[in-house]
Amino acid sequence: MFAIEKPLPRANEDTAPYWAAAHKGELRLQRCDDCGHVRFPPSALCPRCLSQHHEWVKLSGRATVFSWIVVHQSQHPAFNGDTPYNVTIVELEEGPRMHTHIVDCPNDQIRIGMPVEVVFDRVNDEVTLPKFRPAKSK
Amino acid sequence: MMGSLSGRYAIVGVGTSRFGKLQGVSTMGFTLEAAKQAIEDAGLSRDQVDGVLVMMPAIMGEQHGWAARVAAYLGVEPTFSATMDLGGATACGSVQTAMAAIDAGYCHTVLCCFATQNWPQGVAMQLFGSEFQVPYGDVGAICLMAHIKRRQQYDYGYPDELYGQIAVTWRQHAQLNPEAQMRKPMSLDDYMRSRWVAEPLRLFDCCPNTDGGGACIVTSAERARDLAKPVVRILGAGQSHSSEIIHPRGAEQRSLGGTKAATMAFGMAGLTPSDLDVAQIYDAFTPRVVHDLVAYGICASEEVPEFVTRGNLTFAGRLPSNTAGGLLSEGHLSGFGHIREGVRQIRGECGDRQVADAQVCLVTGYGGAPHEAPPTVSYSALILAR
Ligand SMILES: [Zn+2]
Repeated sequence: MFAIEKPLPRANEDTAPYWAAAHKGELRLQRCDDCGHVRFPPSALCPRCLSQHHEWVKLSGRATVFSWIVVHQSQHPAFNGDTPYNVTIVELEEGPRMHTHIVDCPNDQIRIGMPVEVVFDRVNDEVTLPKFRPAKSK
Repeated sequence: MMGSLSGRYAIVGVGTSRFGKLQGVSTMGFTLEAAKQAIEDAGLSRDQVDGVLVMMPAIMGEQHGWAARVAAYLGVEPTFSATMDLGGATACGSVQTAMAAIDAGYCHTVLCCFATQNWPQGVAMQLFGSEFQVPYGDVGAICLMAHIKRRQQYDYGYPDELYGQIAVTWRQHAQLNPEAQMRKPMSLDDYMRSRWVAEPLRLFDCCPNTDGGGACIVTSAERARDLAKPVVRILGAGQSHSSEIIHPRGAEQRSLGGTKAATMAFGMAGLTPSDLDVAQIYDAFTPRVVHDLVAYGICASEEVPEFVTRGNLTFAGRLPSNTAGGLLSEGHLSGFGHIREGVRQIRGECGDRQVADAQVCLVTGYGGAPHEAPPTVSYSALILAR
């Protein structure tokens, strides 16, 4: 029987630096050279000023929980063995929101507004997923 | 400019295929069944259809020209055709497009239709290229809607009973609809005891999967007067498109999704929400109803619990809504069920579930790409009237 593998990100020109940084244990996003906006998801243009010039800056890794859900009924066969699992949207200190998992914390103790910090989950030799855990530093 | 189209076009025919759990019927088969029913309902001949708009099926692969194929199977050679992809906003959006196409002189009578065959959805799920959400198991509309319910409850303190009351009300309406997929009586207790699908979303916050199709036909109000059924004019139409939760331009840029569609539709109709007699609100999940009540100006965010728990969405209330049971209980007909029910309410064809003297009906649509970053959604609306 085939095991259904979890879908992993397949990077493209716009997103490869994000995943390469994550694999090295850094959370990086594009900061616009012209207006300073830090954007997510990665893209060719700054959505605020349409500039094409940017720098991949290292972020603080600090964030707060914006929303969290606990999936009980798997929506994809690859995740059947993981239920119940949380999917959390965090708001980064630099502004953008992104989907992630909260780790090192029981699902029923996740709260909106909770301070969290990034950790890196090395999935295989090529892919690392940024995840977040309750903040230890103040 | 838009005001000039108000009342000049009409929905003259509505139809659905068989629907429910119907594995084995093809997407094309459902589409053709629904289209034939709508053509017959209008009292038109097939050869009078010269425009065909079809919602892009969820499982498209590399099948280009879907709408043209539907036309070919119907034996129609349209002068205007498009496959449209606004997800669940396509039904109302295709009617709006049809009006503009007829007004531009591209065609005279437009068939708008859709169908879904859910099986085998598992295969389709693996085709998605989502980089930033699916790897975390955030898959499908259920996850997005769970986040939206979470934020609604956090921001406004809405109790679960609010969502339950909506589900229970629609189920009561479905009991008056022999075609509805979910007719088993449901109490608020049943709702509160229903299991988590994606907490805070319960099973009864979610519509069933529905295999089936729907269709409607748009032509000029002038031509509509020569046809058999009472004329249902389109007074207003609007759409707007935005992202949910993740806003690339910055979180502070956000206006409540759908408000532009609402402003367009009511402005075009020259009406306000208090003029509505009945509404069909896009309700694949209960938090959608809560959202649209606010976005379409029916009540303010803080008034939603009282508005709903006082029974204002029931037949005895201020705005009887989702009178056939909605996507939640009638079944997920991607908004074409809502158009069919809206048209029938205005015609006065609804029998046991007829809203007395229904003159103005709001129909809303909603759909998009829930597990792409950012999740993008389309809102669409129609205001129908005698
Ligand atoms: Zn910029």
